[in-house]
Amino acid sequence: MEPLLEIRDLKKTFKIKNFFGSTTEVQALKGISLSIAKGESLGIVGESGCGKSTLANLIIRLDEPTEGSIILDGQDISHIKEKALRKLRSRIQIVFQDPYSSLSPRMTVEEILTEPMCVEGVKTTKQMRDKAVELLELVGMRSSNLSRYPHEFSGGQRQRLSIARALTTEPDILLLDEPTSALDVSVQAQVLNILTSLQKQMNLTYLFISHNLAVVKYISNRTAVMYRGKVMEIGPSKNILMSPAHPYTKKLLEAVPIVGKPFHQPDTEDGSVNDGDIVDGCSYYYRCPFAEKRCLEQQPEFLAKEASHLVACWKG
Amino acid sequence: MIISPKKIIGILEQNTLTLIGTIMVVFIIFIGVAAPLICPYDPNLMNIPARLQAPSLAHFFGTDEMGSDVFTRVIYGARISITVGLSIVVIAAGIGCFFGSISGYAGGKIDRIIMAATDMVLSFPSMVLALALTAAMGPGLFNTMLAVCIVRIPLYVRLMRGQVLALKEMQYVRAARTFGESPAKIVLRHIIPNCLTPLLVQMTLGIGDAILIASSMSFIGLGAQPPTPEWGAMIATARIYAIDQWWYAAFPGLFILITVMGFNLLGDGIRDILDPRSKD
Repeated sequence: MEPLLEIRDLKKTFKIKNFFGSTTEVQALKGISLSIAKGESLGIVGESGCGKSTLANLIIRLDEPTEGSIILDGQDISHIKEKALRKLRSRIQIVFQDPYSSLSPRMTVEEILTEPMCVEGVKTTKQMRDKAVELLELVGMRSSNLSRYPHEFSGGQRQRLSIARALTTEPDILLLDEPTSALDVSVQAQVLNILTSLQKQMNLTYLFISHNLAVVKYISNRTAVMYRGKVMEIGPSKNILMSPAHPYTKKLLEAVPIVGKPFHQPDTEDGSVNDGDIVDGCSYYYRCPFAEKRCLEQQPEFLAKEASHLVACWKG
Repeated sequence: MIISPKKIIGILEQNTLTLIGTIMVVFIIFIGVAAPLICPYDPNLMNIPARLQAPSLAHFFGTDEMGSDVFTRVIYGARISITVGLSIVVIAAGIGCFFGSISGYAGGKIDRIIMAATDMVLSFPSMVLALALTAAMGPGLFNTMLAVCIVRIPLYVRLMRGQVLALKEMQYVRAARTFGESPAKIVLRHIIPNCLTPLLVQMTLGIGDAILIASSMSFIGLGAQPPTPEWGAMIATARIYAIDQWWYAAFPGLFILITVMGFNLLGDGIRDILDPRSKD
């Protein structure tokens, strides 16, 4: 099947200038390749700083990729100009992590929900208002909320408003950048349920970013595990979570606390190892208990453990 | 965020200083607007036989060296000072906001150029620069306003730039970018409404300052020219009579004090009212 969104060898390097004018480069993404089919949801997990959010920012074009391409429906959108991009903006939308800073405090719910439609400029005021009411109902909120301000709502309600806003332009792809990690567990479940039912109703495609493995398992068909700007393992969520093949995925799963079991502190000290200088080898080399010489010299290729389960490890 | 009248009244009840400031400002604006109704005389009416009279029932604040009623002139002076203060602040804030938001939002070279210009203006003492500008353009109330306006612009440029830099990274601004809102619209719809609080506070405090600078300029003879009933100009003429005829300089001075203090107290109060953290 033709993928809806394809990412090929995407790289992002941030340049940090210091006081004396010399620059340090930080490679946030070191070549990511992914593809998402229509109606699918792909989960992306990984520790803080592994480049998950950078990936989302690149896909939605808040940042320019350094190298590589983002292909939406066969069209490369990674370097097109802002004006041409505006027409495509409506097809990909994003829900951010923090429900408190993602809604403008001085706009009413109606203004917030109609703004993306104003930009499109196709609908009349009446049509936009009807659409806003419809969206509120989709996320389980009453139309009487239209004239209220964001500070009158709870975190979960605000996140539902963010989801409604992202859906105003009827996008194909929704990027969910840790949409539940700022919420209470009970509210998390509510938001996740809304997301799954919306996906069925509107045939949405999700790219779900999270560090919570349970949430990813619940919502996504496939999962990609990222570490230091590289994909380590990608495959059906069930396989990744039940029979992980990459040493890093195994470690991630071990680190999930389970009620009733004694919790072993993961050996985080390994994480402080400076491994910024790995050029050719596997970025996980310094932390990997199974590392050997080959891992430092050569970047492991994706090996197919099963047809759709790929692992970037020489030992996979 | 909506400010209810109830909240404003609540804050005024709790905060005596804000209440005093509000009363002062309302008072000054009222006498300025209603000047012809309040005043028994024409501000420029000369009556040489009645010159330099002490305060009495006929002349509440006495008379000046031309026999004009000081009370009338002081009341008419409120008109001039309020107009001068408001127009300076509104124009300076408008221009300052424009350049400040461009500077903050665009960044890079444009930002560096605007900030360099701002720093240049700020590196002069504002009074001295305003003096030099007025002297270059020629004395007069309008030129003084223009000069003070130019001197005040950098304050608003800096304020706005800082606000924009902070707000630009807010997620609702980023979200607006993802649905293709143009930079100009993002600034107008998302950034400016969210930095109104500090802007309004700075503007209110700025009115007092602007009135003070404009009066000082008139005092040294560069601003309003006598016989315009401008407070600074009046004090300048009154200076030589100050020892024997105290009322002539004292009352214009008192009104400058009331106006400037009123706006300063009100500015602090507005900060409290607009602070979303203060309770409803």
